Amino acid sequence: MQQIPKEMFQPAAAELGEAEKISRPSLSYWKDVAIRFRKNKLAMFGLVLLVLLVFMAIFGPHMTKYDYATNDLMNTNQPPSSKHWFGTDDLGRDVFARTWYGARISLFIGLAAALIDLLIGVLWGGISGLRGGRTDEVMMRIADILWAVPYLLLVIILMVVLGQGLGTMILAMTITGWINMARIVRGQVLQLKSQEYVLASQTLGASTSRIMFKHLIPNAMGPILVTLTLSIPSAIFTEAFLSYLGLGVPQPLASWGTMASDGVQAMQYYPWRLFFPATFICLTIFAFNVVGDGLRDALDPRLRK
Amino acid sequence: MAEKQKLIEIKNLKQHFNVGHGQVIKAVDGITFDIYKGETLGLVGESGCGKSTTGRTIIGLYQATSGEVLLNGVSVHGKKSPKELKMLKRKMQMIFQDPYASLNPRMTVADIIAEGIDIHGLAKTKEERMKRVYELLETVGLNREHANRYPHEFSGGQRQRIGIARALAVEPEFIIADEPISALDVSIQAQVVNLMKRLQREKGLTYLFIAHDLSMVKYISDRIGVMYFGKMVELAEAEELYRNPIHPYTKALLSAIPLPDPETERVRRRAIYDPSQHQYKDGESLEFREITPGHFVLCSEEEYKKYKAMHS
Repeated sequence: MQQIPKEMFQPAAAELGEAEKISRPSLSYWKDVAIRFRKNKLAMFGLVLLVLLVFMAIFGPHMTKYDYATNDLMNTNQPPSSKHWFGTDDLGRDVFARTWYGARISLFIGLAAALIDLLIGVLWGGISGLRGGRTDEVMMRIADILWAVPYLLLVIILMVVLGQGLGTMILAMTITGWINMARIVRGQVLQLKSQEYVLASQTLGASTSRIMFKHLIPNAMGPILVTLTLSIPSAIFTEAFLSYLGLGVPQPLASWGTMASDGVQAMQYYPWRLFFPATFICLTIFAFNVVGDGLRDALDPRLRK
Repeated sequence: MAEKQKLIEIKNLKQHFNVGHGQVIKAVDGITFDIYKGETLGLVGESGCGKSTTGRTIIGLYQATSGEVLLNGVSVHGKKSPKELKMLKRKMQMIFQDPYASLNPRMTVADIIAEGIDIHGLAKTKEERMKRVYELLETVGLNREHANRYPHEFSGGQRQRIGIARALAVEPEFIIADEPISALDVSIQAQVVNLMKRLQREKGLTYLFIAHDLSMVKYISDRIGVMYFGKMVELAEAEELYRNPIHPYTKALLSAIPLPDPETERVRRRAIYDPSQHQYKDGESLEFREITPGHFVLCSEEEYKKYKAMHS
């Protein structure tokens, strides 16, 4: 061991208040989340895919001179070519135009259903969890009863009563879809409401709505967001599934579900009529799922380094 | 001592929790005591004896089953207009046990501290609000640069000081400190306790200090109350209680304090408290009786005479 002479030591300047300084740049919770999300390659790929899909849903129908609804009976069932990029269907309609027009409807149904679920679910679950006791009991039993009704039966009844259409479709999906969200929000609220910062807010005299919107919902945002992103693909899939049963949006409107169910009948001869809508359903569901997974990983503080 | 003014009067406070199946937990079972203006009343007792519940019931986080809490002679519980309630809330504040759970992780320090200011509308402009926040940060020994940071960037001691700043924002008279130091390590405990003492001197605050660290309680408290299973068993001046414990439970509790001297620590004998040792007869009423001036013990008539004979 080498001896270090005493003269080489110098007292460190211990400035008052220096000890309290934080050198790390200030990052808000969401900035932290964004950094972690960006590190996840698969999730970023999903996000890029989603942006592309949305871009095409908006601009795709304008990229071709063909209209989604115009029949061209001289050119039915054409394979993909330089004229019709994705081919044509049995009425001679351009599949490219229909695919992107369908994307609008499918994505719209997915988004609308998920947002309505969000709204009802957060309110229902929030009130139920916050009030607790008898109120909670009654509200959750109502949800359980709705959950227990056979879903398909409910949808068919709705279709018969209200007629087929976009609105009915969204209603059918949200009538039970919000329950999942409500349960998650309720669980979160139950857990969060006994946290000391909520008690502190109460002792300061905060109103219930302040506690709800300033403390509970921001802290439950992670699980809510994940549930939201994962409920969009399930709504898109449900739409496709209902279309197979003939309960989809009426012709000549196109959604990926109706296009795929039309395409199945001619699968052996004109495979492109099934291939394109089915591929995009898969891609969209895949993209939403990986983004949802990525979000969950990014939001989970237990994975924090 | 006669000029002491009662700030808080707690009269036969009960807090029972219905846990279902007809079972009732008597967390706080009829306690009566006063807190004088400007003093620190320490509340000690083992885990689960109802110390925290007492604090939370006093401040109104729980609806009291029965009994009264008076602040400056005005009842705190019962039906109140929202305006009255808000005024009362301003006078009483609380510092919480876990500095990691008591600050909302999604809010900046400025928003956390200013929450009371926002709720009570104490600042008219944004500048005034921030000025107040900076003042409070400096009061508790933090920098103004900390205002825009998030709680997870701070250490336990710093967070606890943020919690104190939040409580001070509404200029309360009375602060309930619910084990404010038990989650901190020892070097930081002293820092927080000294901050609390300084604030008491400067602002004339009154504290109800709930803790189970007996030596720390002795250091900060003027008077100490000992709780056992929802009841207050002994209440006396801090010095008096440590020198001259009367109730067998207090004796047991004090004998559990480890001594920092190995010589004496080796011979320290722990007394074990057994509630059956009182041998109360049926129908004997237990009351809080004054043995020597200012020294109260929960005892039966018979014990009262015995204690009285022993201590006078």
